[in-house]
Formats: sequence, structure tokens, C-alpha cells
Amino acid sequence: MTTAQGSAIAFQERAGIRRTTNAIRQYALPILIALVFVIASIVVPQFLSFQTIRAILLATAVTGIIAAGMTAITLSGNLFSLGVTASVVLSGVIYISVGSATGNIFVGALAAVLAALVVGIAQGFIVGLGLNPVVVTLAAGAIIYGATAIITGGEVVAARSRELGRFATFAIVGIPLPVFVLVAFTALAWFVTERTRIGRNVHLLGSNKETARNSGISFMGTTIWAFVIFAVGLGVAAVLQVSQTLQVQADNFPELTMNVVAAVLVGGTAVTGGDGSPIKSVIGALFIATVTQIMVLVGVPQGTRYFVLGVIVVVLVVTLHLLRKAGSR
Amino acid sequence: MRPVSTWFARYALQLVVLVIVIVSMYALYPSFRVEASIERLIPLGVIAAGLAVTMIAGEFDLSIASMAALSGALTVVLSGLGLITSVLIAITVCTLLGMLQGWAIAKLGINSLVFTVGTLVLIRGLTWLVCGGLSISIDDITASDIFYGKFLFLSPLSTTGLVILIGLGIFLSRTRWGRELYALGSSRPEAIAAGVRYPRGMVIAFGISAGCGAVGGALTSALSGSAAPNALESMLVAGIAAALVGGISIAGGRGTMINVFLGFAIISVLSAGLAGMGSKAFVSQLFVGIFLLLIVLVEYFIARLGEQGRRSRLRRLAEA
Repeated sequence: MTTAQGSAIAFQERAGIRRTTNAIRQYALPILIALVFVIASIVVPQFLSFQTIRAILLATAVTGIIAAGMTAITLSGNLFSLGVTASVVLSGVIYISVGSATGNIFVGALAAVLAALVVGIAQGFIVGLGLNPVVVTLAAGAIIYGATAIITGGEVVAARSRELGRFATFAIVGIPLPVFVLVAFTALAWFVTERTRIGRNVHLLGSNKETARNSGISFMGTTIWAFVIFAVGLGVAAVLQVSQTLQVQADNFPELTMNVVAAVLVGGTAVTGGDGSPIKSVIGALFIATVTQIMVLVGVPQGTRYFVLGVIVVVLVVTLHLLRKAGSR
Repeated sequence: MRPVSTWFARYALQLVVLVIVIVSMYALYPSFRVEASIERLIPLGVIAAGLAVTMIAGEFDLSIASMAALSGALTVVLSGLGLITSVLIAITVCTLLGMLQGWAIAKLGINSLVFTVGTLVLIRGLTWLVCGGLSISIDDITASDIFYGKFLFLSPLSTTGLVILIGLGIFLSRTRWGRELYALGSSRPEAIAAGVRYPRGMVIAFGISAGCGAVGGALTSALSGSAAPNALESMLVAGIAAALVGGISIAGGRGTMINVFLGFAIISVLSAGLAGMGSKAFVSQLFVGIFLLLIVLVEYFIARLGEQGRRSRLRRLAEA
């Protein structure tokens, strides 16, 4: 066998490995969720009930919507936003206040989304200047948290009427509205990031910043668009979240930021940018919600739940990283 | 006196900000005592130092606040062995965990931001398990008394913090392993090509980071005699703010322990002053956020002006 033939065969083998690892990477998480579902419905008696499925979907809705939006930021090569919690609280406070004052939940929701958009665009602008997104969003989170707490005096802001909970209680054929909103927003985020010029620019910028800029793509403009997608999702999710609790306080939802980041990472979107999709992040959120719900049903204490979640995130992130490395070799 | 003037030029921005903060605190609040802020070296100062070491090496350790909480929980759980012993055990265990984390990051070649997001949750979960899901406290409440003495304005804890900062400063600037971290942070491929061992650098950087977090957490718990599963969560933002406000570059390879101390001083004087005036903790959060954002913006514009100046000089040279 000549060396040329040998290297050709080696190349083919490598291509084969690449295809296999990429296939695993593509379908690993959906298969894993299916497996967890099957095992849980056999082992855990109450698992396969309408009630449980509904709870899992509801838990996925808020995290999933924000994760789908955040995927745009990650795809554009700007890592992720670490100020989710503060912005959700701000939007929640505005939804309750404006909704209570006007008596119209749609006006309240619109105001909440607008507030999220304003702080989102401001952050997108600063990140677009070329500053580190992790630092900017952490700082912005601290500022928004501080400002919200000062304005509300750190007190609980409660809805004056149950009317404000309509977004969460309204259901079609037994499935609550947040689940439909999740599907609609994910479809929208997918469409924008995969089928529009903005999305193409986001992908290009994330894959290769220098080449993208040299071919005339505006870093500032694209980054702001990514933050707009994120902020719309965040505002909508905040309305849905607060509709469920009917009250909000500055210290609420401390674990939300990390849950969203974990959903994006577990879903398999590359943190370096350019590779991933909002749908993957929602599947990541679904996986985390499913595992959490199973642990709640089995009666695992909160500390252990947190620990297991950490193990899952680390193991999945490392596995995906190794698969990606093998696939690109 | 050239070295002195360059020293001042290097830290000018931070020194000016520090003076402004101290003066305005005294103006707003005459009974303010600036030396009291130094007590915040534990945990804020050492956590900022730990974050700074990983930033200098071009990495990011988001798990440091969780590590501090774990160390605090271990200290309280093991306090039956004697408080000093339990503090030392907690710090050793957490440092080893950090070294393991650094080794894993180097071997996997994974982005440390991604990996430590995972371990942030994982180590917090471990803390929940160690605490048994509840706030816990030391049985012998007099055990903490040894930490309360005072010499001038220094307590045993703030002295420990200062010693750690000075020790790390000497390590980073005077030893080979320390200088290798700067090389890894500023131009990694060249550093590795020149023979710097990347895995060793990661083990050292994340070991130091976890160790610093552990010192902060263990001593905080030893002083208060208690630990909680969700303790010290705000230290991540505050620590990052202190390191960056001090002038550590998040891009890696730039900054010293003097930067860390100045950044720590600015943030702690600010929070101590606001707390002294009776403001709630969220007011100081607001100011910490504003400071962090302002300082990165100012540095960005200074860098941009420098770049423009360099370009126009080149243009003039080209025309001449």
C-alpha cells in the first residue's frame, strides 16, 4: 500500500468518526430525555400523569423562553448574560405595577417587555463597543437589582387583583398558555437566528469575528440585535413567571440566571459562538426540568437536587466538549 | 525618581478614585473610620485576589464563591476537632479541589468559563449536602474568640488577608511559576512554544483561586461561628468588581496584587461607608455595579484614545 492510499484511507476513517460524533452530538440530548422519560415512567409510579407532564412543561416555559433568547447572544460570540435574575425582577415589578394601575394585563405586559428591551439594548450597546459581555452583564445585573430594590424599598410588590394571573391560568385543552408561548417564542427565535439576515450575521460573527467584520458585518448592530432577541424573551418570560406567583420581590429567583446558562450549555450551543440553536437550548431546559421534577416526585431533598443538577451540568458539558473536539478533528 | 513616578502613573486612575471615595465618605459621614474597611479583606479581598490570579492567567473562575461557601460549611461541620484545625482542613480540601479543577480544565482543553459555570452549581450543591440543607453553627460558641484580638487597626483576620495578598504578590512577580501565569495569560501559544507548561499553570492558578476562596469562606465562618448553604453568593460579583476596578485585565496577563488591593479598598470603603450611613445592602450593590461599569468604560476609552494617538503618530511619520 502506498503512503498516498494510506493517508486517503486514514482521511476517510477520520471523516467517518467525524460524522458519527456529530450525529451523537445532534441526537444525544433528545435520546437522553426519552430514556429518562421511559425509565421514570416505569420506576416512579406517579410520573406518567397529566399533572406531572404539565408541571414539567410549566417549569420549562420560563427558563426555556429566556434560554432560547440567550442563545442568540451565545451564537454571536458574546458568551452569555449573567444579569438575567435582576432583569426578570425588574420586568416583573413593572408588569404588576402597570397592570394594577391600568387594570389591563396587556398594557402591563407590553410595559414589562419594553423595560426589558430598554435595559437589554443598553447592555447590547456597551457590549457592542467591544467590552467583555460577562463583566458588562454582571455589572448591569447589580445596577438593575440595586435600582429595583431601592425603588420598591426591598418590599414585596403584590398584585391587587387575581386578574393579573390570567396569562398563567388561561389554558387551552388543559395545557396552560405559557407552554404555547414557549413554543411560539422558540419558533420565532429559531426563525430569526436561522432564516433571516440578522441571524446569518449573528452566526458569522460568532464563528469568526475578524472575517465577519472584514466582510462588512457590523459588530455593534449585530450584537444589539442579539440582545434584542434576548430581551424580548426575557420580558415575556418575566410576565409569565410573575403571573404564576402574583407577587415579586427584589431578592426573588436567585437561581434563574444559572439555570438559563446551564440550559444553553447542556443544550449543546457552543460557548465560542457560531454553532447551536434556540431549539437545542429549550431541549436543555426541558431536560433539566424533567430531572428536577422526577427528583421532587421521589422526594429527594433540595440540597441533593442541587448537587445532582451540578453533576449533570458538568458531565454533559464535558461530554459535549469532547464530542465537539472529536468531531472537528 | 523615575521608578516612583512610573509607579504612580501605573496606578493613577485607581488612586484618584480611591481618594475621591474616601473623601466623599468623610464628607457625607464625619464619624466614618476608613481603617475599619480593612476588615473586609476577609472575605472580599482574598476572593478578589483569587479571581485576579485566574484572570492574569487568562482564565475565569466563576466557582470561587461556591468554593468559599463549601469551605465555610466544612469549617463548621469539622469544628469539633478544634477551630484552627477545621479551618486548615477546609482550606486544604478546597485547594485540592481547585487544583483538580485546574487539571481537568487543562486536560480537557475546555473554556474555563463553561467548566466553572458547571462547578459553580456542583460545589454549591456539595455545600447544601455538607450543611444538610440548613444553616448550621458551631457548638462551642466561645471558640471564635481567638479571632477577635486587635493590634493597632489589624485583627488576626485582616492580617491573614494582608499576608496572603503580599505573599501572592511576591509569588506572581518574583517566582518562575508566577511569571509563567502572566505568560499564559498574555500570549498563550507563544508561551507554550517557549516551554511554559500549560497544565501546571492551570493547576496553580485554579489551586490558588480555590485556596483564596476557601480562606475567605473558612475564616468568615470561623468568625461568625456559622455557615449557610447559600452563603457568600454576592461575593462573586463583588470580587470581580474589586479585581476589575483595581485594574486587572480580564483579557489576561496584566495587573498586580497592588491593583487588587486598590480595587478592594475602593469597593470596601464604598460599601462600609454606605452601610455606616444605614443604607441597605442593595444600595451598595447598585454602586458596585455602577463603579464596575464606569471603570471598564473609562479603561476602554483610554485604550481607544491611546490607539488613535498611536495611529496619528504613525500617519505623521508616514507623511514626513
